[in-house]
Amino acid sequence: MDIKILDSHLREQLETNAKPMDIAKALSLSSASIERVEPFGKDWVYSVEVTTNRPDMLSVKGLAREAATVLPQFGYNAKLLPIKLAHPKKDTKDSVEIHVVNNDKLVRRICGIVLDVDKKESPQFVKDSLEAAGIRSLNNLVDITNYVMLEIGHPCHVFDYDRLKNHTLIIRESKKGEKIITLDKKEHMLSGGDIVADNGEGEIIDLLGIMGTANSVVTDNTKHILFFFDNNDPWRIRKTSMGLAIRTDAAALNEKGVDPELAMEALERGVALYKELAGAKVMSDVIDIYPGKVKSTTITVNNDDICRTIGVTIPIRQSDKILKSLGFEVEQKNGSLMVKVPSWRELDVTIPEDVIEEVARMYGYHNIPTELPPFKHAKFYHQSTNQFFWEQKAKEALKYWGLTEVYTYSTVSETMFEGPLDEAVTLANPLDVDHTYLRKTLTPSLLAVIAENKSFENVAIFEIANVYRKNKTNKLPTEIRTLGIVLKGKEGDFYHAKGLIEQLLSDIGITNPLWKDSDMGGIGAALYLDKVHVGDIEVMDKGLVTAELNFEETIKLATLKKTYTPLAKYPAITEDISFVLPQEIKTGDVIEEIQKQSTLIKEVSLLDIFEQTRTFHILYQSKERNLTTEEVGEIRKKIIGSVEMKFKGKVK
Amino acid sequence: MEEKLMSLKNDAVSLILDASDEKTLEEIKLQFLGRSGRLTLTLKEITKVPLERRAEVGSLANEVKQSVEEAIERQKQILKHQTIKVRKQTLDVTNPGIKPPLGHLHLITQAMEEITSIFDKIGFTRVRYPEVEWDYYAFTALNFPENHPARDDWETFFTTEQTDSEKGQIILTPHTSSGQVREMERSVAKLRELARERSETGVDGSKDKLYSGPDLSIRMLNIAKCYRRQSDVSHTQMFHQFEGLCVGENISIVHLKGVLDYFVKSYFGENRTSRIRPYHFQFTEPSFEIDVTCGVCLGKGCKLCKAGWLEMGGAGMVHPNVLTYGGIDPKKYSGFAFGWGVERVLMMKEGIEIDDLRLLYSNKLEFLEQF
Repeated sequence: MDIKILDSHLREQLETNAKPMDIAKALSLSSASIERVEPFGKDWVYSVEVTTNRPDMLSVKGLAREAATVLPQFGYNAKLLPIKLAHPKKDTKDSVEIHVVNNDKLVRRICGIVLDVDKKESPQFVKDSLEAAGIRSLNNLVDITNYVMLEIGHPCHVFDYDRLKNHTLIIRESKKGEKIITLDKKEHMLSGGDIVADNGEGEIIDLLGIMGTANSVVTDNTKHILFFFDNNDPWRIRKTSMGLAIRTDAAALNEKGVDPELAMEALERGVALYKELAGAKVMSDVIDIYPGKVKSTTITVNNDDICRTIGVTIPIRQSDKILKSLGFEVEQKNGSLMVKVPSWRELDVTIPEDVIEEVARMYGYHNIPTELPPFKHAKFYHQSTNQFFWEQKAKEALKYWGLTEVYTYSTVSETMFEGPLDEAVTLANPLDVDHTYLRKTLTPSLLAVIAENKSFENVAIFEIANVYRKNKTNKLPTEIRTLGIVLKGKEGDFYHAKGLIEQLLSDIGITNPLWKDSDMGGIGAALYLDKVHVGDIEVMDKGLVTAELNFEETIKLATLKKTYTPLAKYPAITEDISFVLPQEIKTGDVIEEIQKQSTLIKEVSLLDIFEQTRTFHILYQSKERNLTTEEVGEIRKKIIGSVEMKFKGKVK
Repeated sequence: MEEKLMSLKNDAVSLILDASDEKTLEEIKLQFLGRSGRLTLTLKEITKVPLERRAEVGSLANEVKQSVEEAIERQKQILKHQTIKVRKQTLDVTNPGIKPPLGHLHLITQAMEEITSIFDKIGFTRVRYPEVEWDYYAFTALNFPENHPARDDWETFFTTEQTDSEKGQIILTPHTSSGQVREMERSVAKLRELARERSETGVDGSKDKLYSGPDLSIRMLNIAKCYRRQSDVSHTQMFHQFEGLCVGENISIVHLKGVLDYFVKSYFGENRTSRIRPYHFQFTEPSFEIDVTCGVCLGKGCKLCKAGWLEMGGAGMVHPNVLTYGGIDPKKYSGFAFGWGVERVLMMKEGIEIDDLRLLYSNKLEFLEQF
């Protein structure tokens, strides 16, 4: 959460010779990030980013407190200055009553006081601080509540006392369906469990810690105010604020947990301001209902642990000094520090590591040396079974064969999900309809890329990503690493896709792909490796072909293993034989048949197809002897004979 | 005989010097040195030479043969050079070459490769864990209390899958930190298994106690897709992060700074430097925010940076609760972790001023083909 503070306002509580840029730098390095220091007339405004665990820094007081400790570490003088408070003693003869009934499960502390006031415009210094902080100035009565919150860090509220029926506030949980109109004139229906104030007649007169209601807020005619502080359960505040979408500064601060010890000090500060700026007269006793007093915790930290975590030897007296300067009470015992946590750090500092952080940041992160952690053990690296090695190899091969890699979204629309929707892992809160289902396949996403790039005639793209399959209950969906390819244009045909895949497989050591007709319905092929169906090629259109491969399954068979085969002693004899074959005969079957005819046939491949004629290139070789033309002739006869008989082919 | 030999030699050499191409030279070779070549046939007549003169004649014959062969070789070389000169004159070096194919790897892949390589060298090995993950690993085990803001609907994607009583809802992981406790569990399990195999005593084999035995050393690099419910010029609903986790004995802030400095100088260059500042994460204590000096002004301050610095990401010492969830005894072992955006460091390095981050995942070819 960000807060904007004027330099002049900060210096009311901090006396220092440091300039604004110095303060910004010091605080950024040791406390909270000062994002910007910008001019504000003759003044400066700090934009501070305060993390959720340090609500104590969301105020001038909190920042001044940090700065007073941090600045001396950087060589500047710094001292905290006291805040002008006013002890609220009744100073009118006619005192008034105010009844507050608390619910200590909801509210930890209530402080309040009734004042007689004169409503008018706020003076410039109040307007300036509020404007710098991004808060609108309305009138002195409301402005002081915001000013006090900004200055001390405890949110507060003013009611028009005369508009409070029965002068009663009963703190309770809201019931589901109750309606309120907040002071911005918006109507809200409560979901139940919200912290509200009831006027004793069932009417809600405040949404505590978040926003006042229209029926009790100050108006132009307000003469008496109830100046009110409530310290609320942070969880409920967040739930209500988020649920109703009412995000006020007060809510944002309250949901992080505000130090209840601040309430009285803030009240006294407020009273001082009302006296100064609104001619206030105290009309009631001070109310202080404080069931949830801060129980101070003591944490024991071993100084050796401090040194071990930071990696630097810090003597115990230095740790002691640092912690004391931050407001911790410290006692030493046998190398350990017994550290008592101040109220404003109650929720943040709870374990020894939190204390170590305090010492470390004050010691100065920039003062800590820089060294690589030493090696004692390392994970054994097995390249051939490393999935990242194979993935990168495949990607690079595809790149050097001219393909471009794309990254498409894992979530897809209904139309892009291939399968019945009840099989899809579905998002409960998608951002839009185009990204609602976790995809089961890559192809539709890749085809969308093609469609997006219509002006390109020849396109070759690929992606390696997970696809997701629903699993039984109590199991995460299965994620399968998949390779998707789309080829469009001149090389957008089946044979280019097949060749690409075979070459890729070859590069990763897989040399026995088996292609069968696809049973998916369209024109294409199914790829089998060692009897496992690992992928498919689908011809989508003329000049457009897609392929999808279970990459995970494929790399199980990948290997870098190379075996040495002794070089052939005796030369090979090669020849080409052409056959006229019926269209429906598969080349693969013919090759298989030819190969069967003799063990001396070392290689058979399809050399050429021209109309009905297929030419096969055959290589004969023996390891033991030179083959004679007669021997080869014998084998050739067998080849011709079997092909003609089995496939009704005719040799040419 | 000698005269015949000398005359043959002169004939041959003269023809050779006249030859204007390799084909002619081959023919001359055949003519003189072939099976029925003139020199060969003449050599056959050496039987007609009287015995006492045969050695002398034979020697001369060989000399002639050698001279002819050498002349042919020489002429071949001369012709070669001439050819080159001719070819050079008809060669337009500015004409386009015939290029082999060259595709493109996505910028993200390139960045991940580089990041992996850098961390590889200091012993961080890459891992992969589920993208669709239990709330337990993404939040609970990382010390997020049940009603922490980060779990709320508006940041995290939830699935409609059934909730598990212990592991919570199934979500799309919003950060690579979900791999931390998985890695710890895995490492501990492996050590316990090895100990069982060695049947060592002294190593606590019981699953209930936290691991405080020897040899635990984790250096994990988890680079993966993350998902958050945000989409605007600087956020995409799917993005990439890389997470480092280092756990061991006496791992300290000194080591975190060491690894950070090593990465920053390796990836961005040695003229860049880094610093850490206080921050807050649920799963680290102390927590830090990391800044890197601006690549444009090199730390002096300019329009593009914050007083010379750019925010890179977060880091911290692993929270003892997280070590405990991971099954590791925080009294014996400590560690640090960091998590940064791949897109972010990519933008910071290349100075690729992409005005809309969604362009990275738009898959427009004219964009992808630039890299």
